[in-house]
Amino acid sequence: MMWVGWALATLGFALLVGQYAAGQADIFVSIANPRPLDEELMVVTLKGWGFAAQAAQPFVTPESDHGLCDVRVFGTRRQMLVAIATFGFLRPVTVAWRAHAGILPLGDA
Amino acid sequence: MPIVKLGDKGRWTNYHGTGTCEAATRFALRSGDAVRGRDEIAIASKAVQDWLAEAQAAKRRVRPIGAGWSPSNVNISSDSWLLHTRRFNRCFRIEAADVRPGIDADGLMLVEAGALVDEVSDKLEEQGRSLWTSGAGNGQTFAGACATGTHGSMIARGGIQDHIRALQIVTPGGIHWIEPDAGVMSDAFIAATGSTPLRDDDLFAAAQLPVGSLGIVTAVVVDSVPKFLVRPIQNLRTVECAALDWLATGDFRRFSAAYALDQDPDFVQMIVNPYKPFKRPAMLRFLYREPWRDDYPRATPGQLGAGYDALSLLGRLLNDYPWARGPLLQFAMKQGYASGPDVNAPPVYGSWGEGLDTHRPLADLFNASVTIDRADLARAFERICAVFARHGGSTVVTVRFMERAQGLLAPARFPHNAVIDFDGPRSQRTADAYARVVECLDAEGIAFTRHWAKSCRLDAVRVAADYGEDFRRWRSARDRLMPDPAHRALFGSEVLDGLGLTC
Repeated sequence: MMWVGWALATLGFALLVGQYAAGQADIFVSIANPRPLDEELMVVTLKGWGFAAQAAQPFVTPESDHGLCDVRVFGTRRQMLVAIATFGFLRPVTVAWRAHAGILPLGDA
Repeated sequence: MPIVKLGDKGRWTNYHGTGTCEAATRFALRSGDAVRGRDEIAIASKAVQDWLAEAQAAKRRVRPIGAGWSPSNVNISSDSWLLHTRRFNRCFRIEAADVRPGIDADGLMLVEAGALVDEVSDKLEEQGRSLWTSGAGNGQTFAGACATGTHGSMIARGGIQDHIRALQIVTPGGIHWIEPDAGVMSDAFIAATGSTPLRDDDLFAAAQLPVGSLGIVTAVVVDSVPKFLVRPIQNLRTVECAALDWLATGDFRRFSAAYALDQDPDFVQMIVNPYKPFKRPAMLRFLYREPWRDDYPRATPGQLGAGYDALSLLGRLLNDYPWARGPLLQFAMKQGYASGPDVNAPPVYGSWGEGLDTHRPLADLFNASVTIDRADLARAFERICAVFARHGGSTVVTVRFMERAQGLLAPARFPHNAVIDFDGPRSQRTADAYARVVECLDAEGIAFTRHWAKSCRLDAVRVAADYGEDFRRWRSARDRLMPDPAHRALFGSEVLDGLGLTC
């Protein structure tokens, strides 16, 4: 029966490593023809396995009157380790976005 | 007021994450809603001049920031005032009455300094026009790409700054409209922009490529050609070493016939794996220019072969597993670059602007280049690859071709140029390998220059040696534009001072 225990432990470890790696992937959504300003970012922490979510700062972004060009969601190595160490109770993710500079019509000089 | 303050003093990091301005006070220059472009830039340039005076009074240096695409950190200046120009991005048609007699206004457009290359392309296409060359990406501001001499990529053309016919520069001492001796815009137009005309060939050649050191560029007049289509061919081929001789002598037709179509290409790019560059397949890209027609089937940027950043995702692997660099780079080339249409695939077409990409690096990138005389390609290229690979360089090596570019500080200063890029995942080992390439070229006596915006490791002595008399002329033009050393110092930074451009 010992080998079953080792197999399960290996499987569990592999699951954790997989979650650790995949959690750092970039989920990237962009509009076509972007005209981006500088990137801004904030960390959002999901608590209690998603029952509560709290951003470290309110979602206010400078110069966003023309909307957003793109949004990225990813976890850093540290954020994934926090998620794994807390059994998922805390799940910090980084949300990064770039506001749109605006497309203005061609004028006359 | 077209300049607004953005938050409190803080940290600003450039686009590629290679440098950080600490304790920077950020401002944004914004477009207004004036009916005429000349009125718009008159208002903006006056606001910029007032802002410069405030910065001087506050004893702060200033730095204009476009898209922030300069991994060489020429855009980094700590404890300074930053002026973000991205929202100053309107473009305006120029009429015949706006230019001097004998100047054809059809191809000209007035562009505010924050407009991206992509925006300029779009606005020109609306008028049936096109840029004739540009770099591989189009996410830089047009003024910023010119300011750093972003190399072009069309075989028979120079750099992106060659499009500039006139420009407005603001210094603490004045608002200047700089043109060649022969002039471009009418006196009435220049007066309406609130500028003083400066018609001087040397000053214009200096201002075409100012490296952010001659004041704040607020607007440029951009020239263009009638819009055209390009047909891309992109494939993986093992290139014979002898083919370097064809490229070195400018026999692009023979190179194209061997690896793509038997016709004259307008653009040739070869991306090789520096680990066995002539044994492993290279990624080749050709563009063939065709007359414009409205009914061409639209293709996506990906179908047109745009998109250069697949390699960025492999950065960590390449850094951590040096023994696997050769196969990993080859894998990345296959995955990231091989999707373009080959010779036998149904042809796809696009305008020049459609074939470019506003890239978004998802990992830290290293960017560097050397520009050599095309005639030296055969003797230099294999050596460059060997040295780069031997010292652990982890990027592919790209070669493109262009003619001599305008501007006194243009890196493409040979009659015919081969531009060799090292673009890929960032690591210290790759930076060191690039430094060894530079040493190797020096040891071999092969003349070369480096891109102002890329990681270039230049200093004032080297800049003076590389550009010789042109550098002296550039400094002389700068001193005529800004005779007061305090005004020149206002645009300085640790990097620019080190290059000998602002002190």
